[in-house]
Amino acid sequence: MRPDLPAIHEIWVYLSGSPLLALILTLAAYQAGVMIYERTQLNPLANPVLIAVTLIALVLAALDMPYATYFEGAQFVHFLLGTATVSLAVPIYKGLPSLRGRLLPLAAALLGGGVTSIVTAVVLARLLGADEIVVGGMYSKSLTAPIAMGVAERIGASPTLTAVFTVTTGILGAALGRFVLDAVRCREWWQRGFAIGVAAHGIGTSRAFSVHPEAGAYAGLAMGLHGVIGAIVIPWAISALR
Amino acid sequence: MIDGLVRILVFQGIGEVVAKFVVPLVPGPVIGLVLLLAYLAWRGEVPEGVALVSAAFMRYLGVLFVPAAVGVVLFWPHLQRQALAIIVALVVSAVATVAASALLAKLLSRGGSDAP
Repeated sequence: MRPDLPAIHEIWVYLSGSPLLALILTLAAYQAGVMIYERTQLNPLANPVLIAVTLIALVLAALDMPYATYFEGAQFVHFLLGTATVSLAVPIYKGLPSLRGRLLPLAAALLGGGVTSIVTAVVLARLLGADEIVVGGMYSKSLTAPIAMGVAERIGASPTLTAVFTVTTGILGAALGRFVLDAVRCREWWQRGFAIGVAAHGIGTSRAFSVHPEAGAYAGLAMGLHGVIGAIVIPWAISALR
Repeated sequence: MIDGLVRILVFQGIGEVVAKFVVPLVPGPVIGLVLLLAYLAWRGEVPEGVALVSAAFMRYLGVLFVPAAVGVVLFWPHLQRQALAIIVALVVSAVATVAASALLAKLLSRGGSDAP
């Protein structure tokens, strides 16, 4: 061995102190998630975010790396959430013409769905003995994840729990949605898509797009409008009730 | 593409400032979103750069919330104890939300267009 080469543990100490390791880990885990998701023909249960989070949690445990150290590097990805939220204006703007002539049923579906989402989750979680930290994560779980986490910060809830509940809700809505829609005999594509978008945001929307383009367009619109209106109404309603 | 990113970042910045000093209850990026929406409506079209940046973000939205979601490891023991409450609340709520939303859309559109 050449004497000027550093020992392997020195390389490791250097790398684990740099943001690069967490960045590589985050992107590689997500890439693995996307590959698995595509390999399963876009099955909502093989959600790339869920796979990435599981992989990273396993790696952190194996390396004995604290979450704070990981986040120091991964915060560069995290920062872009706000920018991505702003750029949601584009799909909303493109979807607005779809509201024409259907404003009343869609507004009612959005409002009724939004209220149902919060009330059922919060009441059930409380009844079954969940504590306030868990209940706090339930309020914005049907909003699109970047907005849901912003709302969580404003209402004093944990953005992390909110992110996890939001992704889980999206997966549940995408996986169970069609059975529920068939059970309530909802047949129009635009209504089916919109209901999935209200309940299951981005994950539901990508599911809706894979079933029918009209359903996808309305799901995307529902996700955007629910995000914007929820972000304005939820913190305000909670502070008024406190 | 850079011009689109600049415009989106400027709207984010204005949104954050407005949130900080005027409406602290609403997340800054959401205010930025509403302002960008108003700007697009005023222009009557989506500038090419803005469309490009937005499409890129929408395509890879998922990866952006991975760092925060990994924080679930900190809550793990806490969540395990309340697993039943969490699972039941999330499943029932997702089903109820789809059902409520679909029923309202269906009933109100029937009353509006092809009422007997």
